[in-house]
Amino acid sequence: MKLHLMWAIAGVALNVGLVLLVAPLFQGILRKITARIQSRQGPPIRQPYFDLLKLLGKEDIESGQTPSMQRFAAYLALAAVLTATCLVPMGFGAPLNGAGDGILLIYLLTLCGICTLLAGLAAGSTYSLVGISREMMSMIVLEPLFAIAVVVGAMHAQSFRLNTVLHGSVYSTGGFPWSGLLMLGVMLLSFQAFVQRVPFDISEAETELMEGPLLEYSGPKLALFKYAFMAKLIVYSALFVALFVPWGSGLAFPLGWLLFWVKVSVLVLLVTVVAATHARYRIDQAIRFFAGLLAVALVALVLASYGH
Amino acid sequence: MIARERLDQLKAKFGPAILRADLPAENRLFVVVEPSAVKVVCQYVFRDLDARYVITIGADDRPYSGKFLVAHDFAFDRDHVLCSILVYLPAASPRIDSISEVVPAASWAEREMRDLVGIEPVGHRYMKRLVLPDGWPEGLHPLRKDVSWNHVPESFDDTREFTFEEPPEGCTVVPFGPFHPTLDEPAHFRMYVEGEMVRGCEYRGFMAHRGIEKLAESVLGYNDIPMLAERICGICGCVHSVAYAQAVEDAAPLKPPPRAEYIRTIMLELERLHSHLLWTGLACHILGFDTLFMQSFRIREPIMWIAEKITGNRKTYALVVVGGVRRDITPELKNELRQVLDRLEAEWRPVVDAVSKDKNIQKRTSGVGVADLTAVKNVALLGPVARAAGADIDCRRDHPYAAYGRVEFDVITERGGDVWSRVLVRLREVFESIRIIRQCLEKMEPGPIQLQIQDELPAGRMGLSSVEAPRGESHHFVITGENNRPRRWRVRAPTYQNLQAVPAMIKDQQIADMTISLGSIDPCFSCTDRLETIDLRSGAVKVWSQQELLKVTRAKKD
Amino acid sequence: MSKLKETIICLTAGRVTLPYPAAAKPVPEGFRGRPIFDARKCIGCAGCANNCPAREILIYDVSQEIRVLEYLGRRCTYCGRCADVCPEKAITMSAEFEAATNAIGDNRQRIEIFMSTCQRCGRCFTEPSALEKLKMKGYRFDDPENDRWVFRSRAFLEKDKVVDDIEIELD
Repeated sequence: MKLHLMWAIAGVALNVGLVLLVAPLFQGILRKITARIQSRQGPPIRQPYFDLLKLLGKEDIESGQTPSMQRFAAYLALAAVLTATCLVPMGFGAPLNGAGDGILLIYLLTLCGICTLLAGLAAGSTYSLVGISREMMSMIVLEPLFAIAVVVGAMHAQSFRLNTVLHGSVYSTGGFPWSGLLMLGVMLLSFQAFVQRVPFDISEAETELMEGPLLEYSGPKLALFKYAFMAKLIVYSALFVALFVPWGSGLAFPLGWLLFWVKVSVLVLLVTVVAATHARYRIDQAIRFFAGLLAVALVALVLASYGH
Repeated sequence: MIARERLDQLKAKFGPAILRADLPAENRLFVVVEPSAVKVVCQYVFRDLDARYVITIGADDRPYSGKFLVAHDFAFDRDHVLCSILVYLPAASPRIDSISEVVPAASWAEREMRDLVGIEPVGHRYMKRLVLPDGWPEGLHPLRKDVSWNHVPESFDDTREFTFEEPPEGCTVVPFGPFHPTLDEPAHFRMYVEGEMVRGCEYRGFMAHRGIEKLAESVLGYNDIPMLAERICGICGCVHSVAYAQAVEDAAPLKPPPRAEYIRTIMLELERLHSHLLWTGLACHILGFDTLFMQSFRIREPIMWIAEKITGNRKTYALVVVGGVRRDITPELKNELRQVLDRLEAEWRPVVDAVSKDKNIQKRTSGVGVADLTAVKNVALLGPVARAAGADIDCRRDHPYAAYGRVEFDVITERGGDVWSRVLVRLREVFESIRIIRQCLEKMEPGPIQLQIQDELPAGRMGLSSVEAPRGESHHFVITGENNRPRRWRVRAPTYQNLQAVPAMIKDQQIADMTISLGSIDPCFSCTDRLETIDLRSGAVKVWSQQELLKVTRAKKD
Repeated sequence: MSKLKETIICLTAGRVTLPYPAAAKPVPEGFRGRPIFDARKCIGCAGCANNCPAREILIYDVSQEIRVLEYLGRRCTYCGRCADVCPEKAITMSAEFEAATNAIGDNRQRIEIFMSTCQRCGRCFTEPSALEKLKMKGYRFDDPENDRWVFRSRAFLEKDKVVDDIEIELD
């Protein structure tokens, strides 16, 4: 029991540490590739580390209506994402495997979105309120998409346990995995919104809303939020890979582990390229798009319940 | 002569109200009317004769004629005539009937006239401060001749604020500016918002007011002013310096040598090129499409380099003097310019194709920020904004100046009146500009580039000049003065008129479309505000104590 | 499809920005950078001062024989009119454009020119003001004790309070 606990703690530390270390690196690579597409030099790859360090070193100013809530939202955002990393397999089994199931994962990820809402609400300025209204609207249509993906997987695997669901369970039907492929398509099309990139980064639209919900954030609080967003990219990529691209994960360490990170990198590259080549959608256009995807996802759910 | 025909029409209709008329050239008409008749005359000119409203100018003419002067400038585009309706007002009570009821576009110009010169437009419906800060004391009008250019008012009320209207029912107030990432310059749009839809908007601007007109009247000479004029705007520098030089040349009158005119035309078109490319990038950035923003700037960069080679600087060309230009274009530079244009055209065509077919961008810009032909007429909209609504106006063709009378080009119009139409108009104007420059390079003959002006220019003459800036018509009005200095210089940049249409454009649209609507008129607030402030708001008094130094250097001249 | 075309346009362009300031930015010939005043060529005609639109060039006489030309460089618009008008070509518009500084005096250039007196009468100029008369009395400008008497313009430059309304007793 003790050994099990120690392994769990070690696993948690490893996962969390790895994500914390690697998330800014991926962000830096993302920025460098964007710059390359835009024909410019771009910042050095280590720039996000410098940004975070700079922000952490700044004075912690209290602005906005409810500063205590602002701080709480910042801590909670990072904490939620890091807890989610412990539940996601990153090349090997998730450390806190037995601690929760698929539903917990869905809730944790939604929690991160709710933290953005709290942040905007606590700031209380006009632009942040407009930003959170946009965020709320998009969350209502967006989070169910991911939930449905997990549920479809759970239905096929007949269990909500994480290590079964997050192992390509969407494809584990008897016949041709219709629902799995439908969900793959839906998730691919909506992935940009989960990781808050163009064309769906509407709530943080810089030129329109001056950062929206994060308007009143600066210094260390902003660093926490930014870190949470960077880590979210990794977590969602890992989830996507685990759910939809599981082949090769059974290989022995370190091959399986390396393959996992290769898959995540490919996904990040795809995100970057799409972000660099699209304009931002308006909120009503985005909602219509997601509503369409939601309809498709529901069809997939129905198919899954019939075993397809 | 068409100008004479128009004068005859006015005389026939208004008889004794027309006091005096001056036709210095075929395309210029100056009519002095009775103060009581100004409103009906302007209504006749604007509505019945279908002239385009240009600007209203207030001037303090008391040291010379003992009166205040108000000039309402109109343009007969089809007849190629610029006309000015002048009214002299008694010094004791400078009051004039407001024409903003019959000419809605005159709204701002009359407010400015009241703020800066103290001429009261009677019957104006929205008589609030336009230009001066709210704490500025009443009764102190900076452009009057008895106020010195570096006068600091004794009492400045820090606490006084602009009184906005009440928001309509059920709307919250969303302030846009004065600090906003989209705007490069400060402006305050107070939007009344219901959910995501904008229901109304009020504008308070003129925060970058710098005192340029006062400086030009007080301390600068004819050839110093182009250096100041080209700093009015961060993009259309050449436009303002050429327009000013042309206004003085119109007044004097002088005719610059043909080669100088060709060079001016080339530089003006180069400026249009780089402005439109910059705008395309900016519009894409507003829409969140940063990649196309970077690409537009990359394609635009060779224009900046060639401008630097020709004039010595990427943007502030310092090229224009009254009577010509300062630098010539050598044959090597000509060849290089040709290569730059070829390369630009080759690179820009695929971008235009890509953007025209891009559904993503089109969805964000179609049907957004609509300004139709009635708005164009009433608010006197200009440039690509008007052409996108279908109005066929372009100063290069309607009031030919520099070498535009000698080259061929098309005026691009669209029908939609929305942001997408404006995008298309600007994208295609790039090709027309390239065409014009190529023609100029071919037609240029060797010759002098500057007039040798021996005598002092005659004083008291009025000159008008309209130049097609990238954003629309830029109109300058000059009254020449003694000692080779102007008595009055009025700059009217196109954004001055285009901004007045913004509240109507964004009404009943979403907040998200606010920035792209504003960006689509290509706002240049520094052109609009034009004057240098003695910044009393922050308490920092920046007084130019040039007077002593001026005296010292001037004294040495004698 | 148009997105793909757009991406290909972008990638074929390559990287066009310079890693400035790590790499220098070259300027073309004829660039109007900071004007450099050559003391050996200047004859003190004050043509540059008269033509400067920003009134940034000051010329003043510290004594009968010495004329000082001071280019302040604060509001200079880099227009090059001074260089155009100089009869001795003593002013060149250099290629320097990195003139930003915290200390306002860094851009200042000061030249002291020795002026000859009139060949025929030695001293043909009447002194225009009481201050000039004071200088004729042998009062030296480089005497630090009396520094505050010198030139309103110089005092202004040194950010001292401008001295005026001082009664000067002359015999």
